[in-house]
Amino acid sequence: MSEQGETGEPITILLVEDDAPTCWRLQDALVKAGYDVRSAGTLGEARQALNSGAPRVLLTDLRLPDGHGVELIRETRQRCPDTEIMVISALGDEESVISAITVGATGYLLKDAFPTDIATTVRDLVAGHSPISASIARFIVRRTQGAAQSSAEPPPGPALNTARLTPREIDILWGIAKGFSYAEIASHLGLSKQTVPGHIKNIYRKLEVHTRSEAVFEAVQQGLIKL
Amino acid sequence: MSEIAAKATIRPRRRLIVSRLVPYLLLQALIVIATILGLRLLQPSDPEDFALSGFSLREDGAARAVTLPHFTSSRYSLADPPLYTGAFTYRPADAASGWSVFLPRFSNAVEVAVNGVVVLDSRRDANANRPDRNTPQIALIPASLLRDGSNEITVQLFVWGPLKGFLDTVYVGPDAALRPAFETRTLLFVTLPVVFSAWQSILAVILAIMWLMRRREPVYGVLAAAMVLGVMQAFVPPPVPPATTSRLAAVLLASAPTESALIVVFALLFFGWRWPRYGALLFVPGIVVFAVGLLGGPPLPRILFLVLGIPMVGICLLLMASITATEVVRRQDAASFTIGCAVTIVLTCWVHDMLSVFEIVTNERTFVSRLSYSAMLVAIGAGLTWRFARALNQVDSFAGQLVTRVREAEERLKASFAREEQRARAAALANERTRLMRDLHDGLGGQLVSIVALSERGHEGATITDAARAALKDLRLVIDSMDDIGGDLMLALGSWRERAAMQLRPHDIALDWRVTTPQGLPLHPELRPWHVIQIVRILDEAVTNAVKHAQARNITVTIDTLDDGQAPYGVISIADDGKGFALAGEGTSQTARGIRNMRSRAAHCGAVFELSSDSSGTRVRLQLPQVFPDSDAAAG
Repeated sequence: MSEQGETGEPITILLVEDDAPTCWRLQDALVKAGYDVRSAGTLGEARQALNSGAPRVLLTDLRLPDGHGVELIRETRQRCPDTEIMVISALGDEESVISAITVGATGYLLKDAFPTDIATTVRDLVAGHSPISASIARFIVRRTQGAAQSSAEPPPGPALNTARLTPREIDILWGIAKGFSYAEIASHLGLSKQTVPGHIKNIYRKLEVHTRSEAVFEAVQQGLIKL
Repeated sequence: MSEIAAKATIRPRRRLIVSRLVPYLLLQALIVIATILGLRLLQPSDPEDFALSGFSLREDGAARAVTLPHFTSSRYSLADPPLYTGAFTYRPADAASGWSVFLPRFSNAVEVAVNGVVVLDSRRDANANRPDRNTPQIALIPASLLRDGSNEITVQLFVWGPLKGFLDTVYVGPDAALRPAFETRTLLFVTLPVVFSAWQSILAVILAIMWLMRRREPVYGVLAAAMVLGVMQAFVPPPVPPATTSRLAAVLLASAPTESALIVVFALLFFGWRWPRYGALLFVPGIVVFAVGLLGGPPLPRILFLVLGIPMVGICLLLMASITATEVVRRQDAASFTIGCAVTIVLTCWVHDMLSVFEIVTNERTFVSRLSYSAMLVAIGAGLTWRFARALNQVDSFAGQLVTRVREAEERLKASFAREEQRARAAALANERTRLMRDLHDGLGGQLVSIVALSERGHEGATITDAARAALKDLRLVIDSMDDIGGDLMLALGSWRERAAMQLRPHDIALDWRVTTPQGLPLHPELRPWHVIQIVRILDEAVTNAVKHAQARNITVTIDTLDDGQAPYGVISIADDGKGFALAGEGTSQTARGIRNMRSRAAHCGAVFELSSDSSGTRVRLQLPQVFPDSDAAAG
């Protein structure tokens, strides 16, 4: 079985992870599923790999020996707009996932996910379906509430501008946060089940901080980059 | 003993009174002397070179020679007034500025004619008609009337009782020589009273406003009323007989007894005296004058004023003098001293006027009571204003002190509140930390130790993987529970669903998720992270049991909201289609221990835990409390 893009070529994945066993584990799962996987252990290696050609999918850890994954994600977003980007996280905590989303990632992968789940997640991502967890959805919707209450004190956690989300998108996030399946959300909101993942990708895109200075500012704000 | 003590206290008191009263009385005596001297000095000098004092008076048909100043009998009719006829010598050489006739003092009115032509009629001047003001009159004599040498001057004196008629020396001469004397008298006896009255009216307004704003202090109101009466008295034009139209004006002119009674009341209030039992008697003369005057009409008010009013004024002045003297002895303060001295001056002036009326002393019939009284009122008003300003200052400093005190208290309170808050926060944090530590110890710690043990014994594969996964799951649970979910347990269950589904997927167990109400569970603002951890652990244990021991194919999670009429509460049920297990017996098995754990966790957060198991499956029912307990002490 081989995962192929529209051209028939195998889908290329650049996997950036400094912990070797984790890297092997993920690589094994993806290669078994038929993807063409290149791996990098540092930010420098990843940049080299990017120079030799844009991958279809970039999977990256955030804490790398020579830098932060957020920089890589931002660069990739600018240089290779067609590349789908996912962050690899040990815990899937909102701190790392949200900061990746704001620079252009459209999902996250747990490092201990089962091999079948890893392959499925990447396949869905290439098909335009961004994964989202209940806790990430919860973080985003609680942030929209915080913005509505306009409290003087900014809420803890990474900065997030939720102003561009539509009420429908917020409803979808509420549904996910409360553990409803896509089908249940679609029936509650009168949508077709297939459109829900598309909405989620839209949500990610809306949360992205676009300009370079904005991104740097956000990263500095979050302490991800030290000036 | 007590008698001696009483005597001992009386004696110093008496000594004190003497030691205070004697200097005061001596001072008052000095003031009396000073006042008399002052009145003498005040007496304006007239240009004696041009005095005419030899006149022939024709009265009641008989003529006789008189010397001015001259008193005539009191009368109530204006018909056939006393007629003074005299002569003066006109020297055209002195007539550069024209010649005038100057009458410094007369009562009540005069009509002056030179060579048979009237040059002055004082009845047209309202001020000149008042017997209590010493209004002078001057009139230019038209040059065409004057003849070289001897000229005739006649003065008709109009008198309306009860006072006797009076005509002071008449002066005829060059205007330039007479006018300065006239101006001096006008300033003293016309302008000054008007100035005082104006001042008095302004004070009356100020005092009335003070009283309106501070009704508790009628002293201001009383003084304002007295001043208003005085002002009205000063500005009401006196009716000239035979006009009897304005009885009210006549009565108002005779308001002095009421006014002086009000001043006495003011003194009583000002010094904080108790209202005397017969205090109302003070007002009787004034009211009698008013009533009789209104009913009877002129000249009754004037007669009554003389008989009742003027003595009443004197009595009031004496009362004032004794009140202030008492207060001076008692208080020795500036206010009582000032008022006392002012009263003495007025009293002296009043006595002076009485002596003048009764012709006991030779005089020019200059009345000074009214003038000195006005001066006293102004002094009192100024004193009151001073007292008011001082009170304001005191209020200011008091307010300042109060503000400082309040600020200090506020700061202390704020500091103690901040301390208290910090302490409470620290306590809450420590509490939370203890619970979390306990939980990490039970869960994550145990699992990691288990991994270490398995690795050391050379185990491979599934068991270590399971233990590590459980540890990761636990870590995620703890992290997830720490998140602020705003009391919505559904948000925690949403994350749990994901983790449970991930756990079940490799075992091919379907997770059926049923939420019966659209909102899910009721909100619990009191929900704390450790409640969430307990509940999620119970659910985890139930799912783990179903996977490990029951070989279930389907697990159904039902989230329901019920209402017992008081408040809604949630029920979470987990049912599997496994083979079930016997509840009794296996007291030491892992399952039994798990069930004990679930029960105790449920009790910690006030939930009701029910478990039933048979061959068709196991069913766990967790009934959540309506309000989650604040501490887990209740559960033991």
